[in-house]
Amino acid sequence: MNNPLPRLPEFEYIRLETIEKAAQFLKDHPGEAAPYLGGTDLFVGLRDRRKQPKYLVDLKHLEGLNSLTFDPAKGLTIGARVTLNQLIDHRDVQKNYPILCQAAKQVGGYQLRNRATLCGNICNASPCGDTIGPSMVYQGSVNIFGPDGTRSLPLEDFFLGPGKVALVDGEIVHSITLPLPPEGSQGMYLCHGRNKLSDLAIAAVSVLAYPDLTSASGFRFRIALSAVAPTVVIVEEAQVLLSENPIEPSHFEKAAHIARQSCKPIDDIRSSAEYRRELVYTLTSRALNQVWDSLQSV
Amino acid sequence: MKKSQKILALIGTNIPRVDIQEKMTGEALFTDDIQFGVKLLYARIKRSPHAHALIKSIDTSRAEKLPGVRAVVTGADFSGRIGLYLKDRHIIARNRVRYIGEPVAGVAAVSEAVAEKALDLIQVEYEPLPALFLPQDAIKPDAPLIHPDLGEYEVVNFIFPKPGTNISNHFKIRKGDMKNAWKNCAAIVENEYYIPHIQHVPLETHVAVAKVDLSGKITLWTSSQSPFAQRDLIAKTWGMSPADIKVISPYVGGGFGCKAGVTMEALPVLLAMKVKGCPVKLRLTREEEFYTNFVRQALLIRLKMGCDAEGNILAMENTMYWDGGASTEYGVNITRAGGYSSTGPYDIPNVKTDSYCVYTNNTIGGPYRGFGMSELHTGIEQCVDELANKIKMDKVAFRMRNVVESGDILATGMVMHPTGIKACIEKVAEAIEWGKPSEPSAPHKKRGKGIALMWKAPAMPPNPGSSATLKFNSDGTVFLSIGGQEIGQGAFTVAAQIAAAGLGVPMDWIRISKPLDTDYSSYEWQTVASRITWTMGNAILDAAKDARKQIFKIVAKAWKENKKDLEIKDGIVYSTNTDKKISLKDFVITGIPKKKDQGWIGGPIIGRGKFMPTYVTGLDKDTGQGKRAVVHYTTGAQGFIVEVDTLTGKLEIIKAVSAFDVGKAINPDLVKAQIEGGMVQGISSALFEQLVFKEGVLQNPNFVDYRIATTMDLPDKMESYYIEVPQDDGPFGARGIGEHPMVPTIAAIANAINDAVGIRLEGPPFTAEKLFMAIKAQNKSVD
Amino acid sequence: MKMHTINFTINGRKESLKVSSNLTLLHMIRENLALTGTKNGCEAGECGACTVLLNGEPVNSCMVLAVECDRAEIMTVEGLTENGELARLQESFKNLNAVQCGFCTPGMLITAYELLQRNPHPTPSEIKEALVGNLCRCTGYERIIQAVEQASGE
Ligand SMILES: Cc1cc2nc3c(=O)[nH]c(=O)nc-3n(C[C@H](O)[C@H](O)[C@H](O)COP(=O)(O)OP(=O)(O)OC[C@H]3O[C@@H](n4cnc5c(N)ncnc54)[C@H](O)[C@@H]3O)c2cc1C
Ligand code: FES
Ligand code: FES
Repeated sequence: MNNPLPRLPEFEYIRLETIEKAAQFLKDHPGEAAPYLGGTDLFVGLRDRRKQPKYLVDLKHLEGLNSLTFDPAKGLTIGARVTLNQLIDHRDVQKNYPILCQAAKQVGGYQLRNRATLCGNICNASPCGDTIGPSMVYQGSVNIFGPDGTRSLPLEDFFLGPGKVALVDGEIVHSITLPLPPEGSQGMYLCHGRNKLSDLAIAAVSVLAYPDLTSASGFRFRIALSAVAPTVVIVEEAQVLLSENPIEPSHFEKAAHIARQSCKPIDDIRSSAEYRRELVYTLTSRALNQVWDSLQSV
Repeated sequence: MKKSQKILALIGTNIPRVDIQEKMTGEALFTDDIQFGVKLLYARIKRSPHAHALIKSIDTSRAEKLPGVRAVVTGADFSGRIGLYLKDRHIIARNRVRYIGEPVAGVAAVSEAVAEKALDLIQVEYEPLPALFLPQDAIKPDAPLIHPDLGEYEVVNFIFPKPGTNISNHFKIRKGDMKNAWKNCAAIVENEYYIPHIQHVPLETHVAVAKVDLSGKITLWTSSQSPFAQRDLIAKTWGMSPADIKVISPYVGGGFGCKAGVTMEALPVLLAMKVKGCPVKLRLTREEEFYTNFVRQALLIRLKMGCDAEGNILAMENTMYWDGGASTEYGVNITRAGGYSSTGPYDIPNVKTDSYCVYTNNTIGGPYRGFGMSELHTGIEQCVDELANKIKMDKVAFRMRNVVESGDILATGMVMHPTGIKACIEKVAEAIEWGKPSEPSAPHKKRGKGIALMWKAPAMPPNPGSSATLKFNSDGTVFLSIGGQEIGQGAFTVAAQIAAAGLGVPMDWIRISKPLDTDYSSYEWQTVASRITWTMGNAILDAAKDARKQIFKIVAKAWKENKKDLEIKDGIVYSTNTDKKISLKDFVITGIPKKKDQGWIGGPIIGRGKFMPTYVTGLDKDTGQGKRAVVHYTTGAQGFIVEVDTLTGKLEIIKAVSAFDVGKAINPDLVKAQIEGGMVQGISSALFEQLVFKEGVLQNPNFVDYRIATTMDLPDKMESYYIEVPQDDGPFGARGIGEHPMVPTIAAIANAINDAVGIRLEGPPFTAEKLFMAIKAQNKSVD
Repeated sequence: MKMHTINFTINGRKESLKVSSNLTLLHMIRENLALTGTKNGCEAGECGACTVLLNGEPVNSCMVLAVECDRAEIMTVEGLTENGELARLQESFKNLNAVQCGFCTPGMLITAYELLQRNPHPTPSEIKEALVGNLCRCTGYERIIQAVEQASGE
């Protein structure tokens, strides 16, 4: 049995003036230095010795990382150090990215979200990370700063496995960009935990749908499943089903069936795999029906 | 004014808590808040990774050499055993470890970090032994023995271990004629339930600081429900005089039973003996709190109940296997309590009970709010529901017919005292509109109602004592010295209320002497068993009586009046005969001058009081029969309306109602606060809580995966009521209410679930997953 | 380990300390400053007993490093009372007996205090959501929620 330390182990706190220096430091200390934002994942890992970095490289003061900007043409850019509460409180986010707000509110308690960041949630790459699914149905991408320059990566290519992301030593996620959601989109995040709020998700579904005249149904759907596979599952087949055929209520059940089949859940302390599958079915069907209702009522 | 009127002003009144101001400003002192200066050393404990193993060797030499390390202890440092009812536990494992988390070595160092480093340098070699994780397995004749020396352990005379087995107590009741009883039954129900381990989860984890001075005297600062029991137990363990041990206990950040007796507190004592003069602090991390401290024992309960065609319960066979864990030093008495209360609050003529305390290689079981009663009632109250179902009788009517009443002969032979349980049932049934269906909020949701009753007696040795001292100051204020602890339940407030009412002084004249300090506080056995208001209250009243006697003697002498004509009100002594008055301030320290400067009458007033039940008798080892098994029973009922989402299994509590007979509510708002808090803890245990062990390894030793109720998980509506059928020997008629509010909760919710979806789960927690899976299986079998 | 010098304000008082990298704000408050009103219930961000205001925002002080508090403004439960006078929120906790053992109380008060600053008239469900990160094992929460509601009235 792993017995966590009574307090944080020894490490050096590193605060450098520029992102260039921070990236260089990370590159110079491979495996020994960890980028540090809210620390809400990091500290837990430090105490139970899963993570043993010698250096925590603070990013919170770095220029540009605290910006949260919405451009009606390009969409939303969320600096790495923007906290979940800042995100939740932001008018443009509430209006244009409601699923993200719903999901962010599920993370821990209020005081935790004053530290926890979207970037941290994404970089931590936990299968049950609440904000990952919604960021993916908004087709977000991460903007990465590295010693060799910057690059952008769609979230779909960012996650390699639980806790594993496509970053190399010295790379820092600088911000996350969510493009403008399609005109007339509706969406919802449904998650199921043991308590009503603040628990880690046992299973969660993000659905985004919008009118699109180029599709047979006149709509397109994006469906993401969380906590039911090593990484978030995008349910392609169901998305296609709902776009390429005229909408019928029974299709939502069918799509939910497909979702159930596309996930690869595990048994763990929070739930059995079997129950997770069942939840995926129920939550997907509920989310699709509710999103469909709101699409109709607009 | 008449005496009764005067008392009314304070008793039955919502006096604000006396501890609330300091608890809201951050001033209230808890053990970890005490400042010890630079001499303070920090302890950390090396713990067993094996559930059952022999210790082949321990090498501490490298740890001892680490700079900053001041002391290292192992089992070799102390051979004695500790235990409240059965001495079966080593403070640090010797030769053998019996559960994962058992201490095998301890380090005191200049910081927690150094101590932690030292732990990594201690090498322990083990030889694993076969381990037992289920009581069913541990009672098998060929099961390996967890305590081969059980026969040699010291044990109190009401606990019956069976050497050569893993059974550390077997409590029996044999009453009536079982054979014929079953024959006369029109319906019989047989069921088995399993109630898993849970934890107390006080917000403050265990913390203790020990210091041993050069002469060997021990001072121990602890977060404790029972400083005196700790003192006496430690004294006994080390063969010391209790006078050479001083236990100081400030406010306790939640107890619920886990801070009764001695658990981790002996560890810093052992370390402090090696570094005389230095205080040594041990604070458990939350994770350690979960996996190394006492837990609520799991229970496997097999019940058989039968009734006649009219619905009279004729017989009950109750077999309980308590998973006592690796030590049952305290737990044995829980299994006894489960035994003598094993009928629940029902009048049953024929009873066969076997309550077994079984050693396993799980974490040690100990007292938990309810002392076995939540677990027991989870079984009984579901079984009663099933029995009523079987003879198609209304479940409330069935209970009203069978419930205990004044004068009933209980299963142990004791005669039942007056109790208001019927009024509690009526209150609860009315509040949840029993018999009237409640409309679900959506087509895929189903609603149900459930009710459950309870009783509980203070479970303790036959003669636990209480005492109180009232010491006046020159302005009439009074220091009330008690040994009962304020663990959140409001003990200090109620104590002050009783003292003020008993003396006839204003409430704000009473000051509780705190922190509790065994050198100065008046003796109290333990703050457990919901006994404090009752027993300590009696001791305080006795002390007030003693003080009044002294006061009246002085005043009567000075005024040349009859003592019987004197009264005290609002701190003023007056004569009902003449118009004379004198304030207590004027003489409680200095006395009253005799006329014409001819000397003085009186002197400082100190009231001394005590209380101890003297009437509890032993019970026959083979039949469980005796004249009076317990002091009294607090009874009550709870009702729930629940709604189940059949598509996810999620359960919503629409309404939760409690009613308990408290004898007399000294402070009604505090009674209600106990009921609410207890009910929510009960709900939490019913819906979320379970310590999940895999081969003895706890899988959820943190709040991430051991979920407890949050603000969001409350019932939509909660109501609490109390009934007052006075206790003949209670202060103003009061009985305890600390533990009871969570006793019927699991069963009441289980019954409501059954009413909603027709499902009975083997046991709590009634998670969405379990409910969903059961509904799914049910639908399949219907198809 | 390197020591870092930090200057900050706590409960209106200026302080300067030398701290190591791994010292959390919680330990700094409780140990270096002996402001023991702030409680340690888990050291994992789960229980909320350690909640303090950092630059006006409630945070789990067990999840913040002391070194980051250079030039910060910190408020702990000790800062709620002014000249020994209870704040209105504390008064309503008192009226409703919203305290039992008192271990969760400092964190509860701080979280609720900030909620009322941000949202002077919260609904019961807003109160519940805001306090979900503050565990209490004794009270069953009901009175705490009512107390916050009462304090928001008038
Ligand atoms: C009590 C508690 C409850 C929680 N509840 C939830 C919950 O309900 N749902 C949920 O999804 N999560 C939950 N979490 C997890 C955590 O709070 C979130 O994942 C949070 O969003 C992490 O953000 P952070 O800023 O604290 O990340 P940090 O801990 O600072 O970092 C997380 C990881 O990402 C790395 N990292 C940080 N920044 C960067 C960067 N810019 N570039 C590259 N790598 C980087 C870090 O090295 C670290 O490995 C909970 C945590 C706690 C302690
Ligand atoms: S101690 Fe910080 S949240 Fe529990
Ligand atoms: S009052 Fe004890 S934890 Fe809240």
